[in-house]
Amino acid sequence: MSTLNRREFMAISAGAGIAASSLLLSQKLVADDAWALVVIKNGSPAQLVRQAINTLGGMSRFVKKGQTVLIKPNIGWDRLPEQAANTNPEEVAEVVKMCKKAGAKRVRVLDRTCNQARRCYKRSGIEAASKKAGAQVRYIVKSRFETVRIPGGELVKSWPFYRDALEADVFINMPIAKDHSISRVTLGFKNIMGIIGGDRGQIHKDFMTKIVDLNLAIKPTLTIIDAYRILLRNGPSGGNLADVAVKKIVIAGTDPVAVDSYAMGLFDIDPTKIEYLRKATQRGLGQMDLSKVKMKVVDLSA
Amino acid sequence: MRTARRISQILFLLFFLFLFFQARYPYETWLPSDLFLRASPLVAIATILATRKVIASVLIAFIILLLTVPLGRFFCGWICPLGTIIDGSDNLIKRKKRKPRQRESTRFRSWKFAILVAVLVASLFSVQFIWFFDPIALLTRTITTVLYPVFSFLLLGLFNFSFSTGLFEDQVYSAYDMAQNSILPIAQPMFFEAVLIALVFVGILALGMVTRRFWCRNLCPLGALLGLFSKFRLTKRFVNETCNSCSICQRECKMNAIEDDYAVNNTVECIECMECISNCKPHSVSYKFGKNIGKNEIDLSKRRFIQAAAVGLAGVAIAKTSAVSREETGQAIRPPGAVKEDGFLDRCIRCQECVRICATTGGTLQPSFLQSGWEGIWTPISVPRLGYCEYNCNLCGQVCPTGAIQNLTMEKKQKLKMGIAYFDKSRCIPWYDQQDCLVCEEHCPTPDKAIKFDIREARTPEGVMRTVKFPYVDEKLCIGCGICVTKCPVIGDPGIFVTNAQAERIEV
Repeated sequence: MSTLNRREFMAISAGAGIAASSLLLSQKLVADDAWALVVIKNGSPAQLVRQAINTLGGMSRFVKKGQTVLIKPNIGWDRLPEQAANTNPEEVAEVVKMCKKAGAKRVRVLDRTCNQARRCYKRSGIEAASKKAGAQVRYIVKSRFETVRIPGGELVKSWPFYRDALEADVFINMPIAKDHSISRVTLGFKNIMGIIGGDRGQIHKDFMTKIVDLNLAIKPTLTIIDAYRILLRNGPSGGNLADVAVKKIVIAGTDPVAVDSYAMGLFDIDPTKIEYLRKATQRGLGQMDLSKVKMKVVDLSA
Repeated sequence: MRTARRISQILFLLFFLFLFFQARYPYETWLPSDLFLRASPLVAIATILATRKVIASVLIAFIILLLTVPLGRFFCGWICPLGTIIDGSDNLIKRKKRKPRQRESTRFRSWKFAILVAVLVASLFSVQFIWFFDPIALLTRTITTVLYPVFSFLLLGLFNFSFSTGLFEDQVYSAYDMAQNSILPIAQPMFFEAVLIALVFVGILALGMVTRRFWCRNLCPLGALLGLFSKFRLTKRFVNETCNSCSICQRECKMNAIEDDYAVNNTVECIECMECISNCKPHSVSYKFGKNIGKNEIDLSKRRFIQAAAVGLAGVAIAKTSAVSREETGQAIRPPGAVKEDGFLDRCIRCQECVRICATTGGTLQPSFLQSGWEGIWTPISVPRLGYCEYNCNLCGQVCPTGAIQNLTMEKKQKLKMGIAYFDKSRCIPWYDQQDCLVCEEHCPTPDKAIKFDIREARTPEGVMRTVKFPYVDEKLCIGCGICVTKCPVIGDPGIFVTNAQAERIEV
């Protein structure tokens, strides 16, 4: 008969404790996992994001200890946060903090900008806020694009993608909801264009097909749409405060199609009229018909 | 004394480079990056002569001029960064050893006075050639368009190589991040005129094979100007009775300013470098306050003066009869805040400060070739296919030393027209190919977009009807920033272009 010494006993009981608690936690997760889409209303940007992730089951559902995270906000433009051309910096910072807290080894924030990168990173406020929250904020380096084959692609069969996004264990897509004359509204699907290389202008031809092709190549773990402020007209660059509407909403979920589909409603657009959402649903990237999506709406002011 | 001078030269060169690196977005600095350019008396006198206006920003140059009266050409010997670089490169060049008491020729040194006369006569008639010769403008131009791009090309290449290996990624990235916020550009700057500008600079250094400081001795009109003022300097070079006439001071003099009587030096040529003190084995040479006994004649005969003035006038006549007149600007799209073309050409010294700082934001400015005529060579123009004028940027006006580009408020700059964009419907994708594109509209930065579109049915060559968004320019809103041209995805010539039609130029 073997006897346990004190150290072994401690180790086993600690292990058992962890196992038991994780079992409890995972049960809780399973329950919350049912939400593919959450919509949080009426709070500060940080509150909205925090509530969204907690409602989805907490950041530990997406980020495991020691994992690497890439957050891809929209930092495309040399504009201030109030002008609603870039993702809200407080929301990005909050997600960084939550990833760190969940035990992420490394959290990176980057975007391939439209205006000059340093200007965009600085004036959007995202660089400073994310760095403060503990992220590595990086400029795009040309040599880090890798060509990815897209077997299911209809028009785009292969395209260069940014290595950091391909290699990250967790990829969090964080667009801001904005008017856009080609995609109608730029949301999660369009935001993927910030991690692709090559001549992006070519994507604008047959955009509705090509954007779905690109989204076949990389699927975000989580999509968080910043609709704290949305840009209604003259997007995606904006610049006029009269075109900005303060909505105080964050939409998040694991189904990238559902998330975009819901956000179309903020612009009074019927998502079934949007070709890329139809195509994406057909190809099994998600569900645009919100009646088929498990969705939870939380109003923080209520 | 030699050590003190060398330290001064190196410190001023470093300061010059520091100011150069200051000229980048976001340019939050109290030290103007164009300080050296504004301190060049030649720039000040030529621009004031040509514009017949007092230009406040260049008035500090007169401090240098005033100090030259008592101190001589200390600027050339102790401060001028081009002089320091020439000294450095001269040290690397092997020249034929000279026999003792064999003095170098002085026959070319009158040229610099001739050049000074010719360019200032031209300035008086409002045609500028000074930009080619001013050593500070010349060096700033060379660094901006040649040396810095080469430097950043190599450094960026090194970083890209490190990134591709994936080794020490985080450390390499931290270094890269630091470099990007201090010395590296975001995008590699590239300039059409780099080769021509490089040739001039290499030529100047190569002249060191003939004699030391060949440029300073014989060609530099700023040196000539300072020489005129140092004629009356209050210090004198004093040689005591211990001198053994070994001729080392004469042979080693950077400027060949010591006469055959070694006690006599030419104060117009002397740049106060103090080499003669340091080189003198018996310690016979010293500097003292007192009336100068040196030779101080200017090597320019009346005949040469008249010849030089005539050359300057001929230059004026040729420039004035060029096919591109100053009233029109040819094809040149000038930076926002550029004064009217006439005044612009009077003021612009082609230093490329604006080009330098633009390369760190939108990157549209390039030194021109003949787009604005011979008179406008190397003046800044917008080349929108390569880069665009950033809507939220007014930095070019902040770094212009002579006010050729005025420092506009952001509000004013954002409304100022550099030109107008036009669609080339034979190339633009929706017009030519009946397909949606609108990349131009996406990037158009004016808050009410200057690129608008109509949605219409169009028939493809195959006879299929399609709904297409057809873009057009609202000329009231367009400011000619050119981002539509930069981003246009059409391969080769773009589907949209900017001309300087309706460009708003500043009256000063």
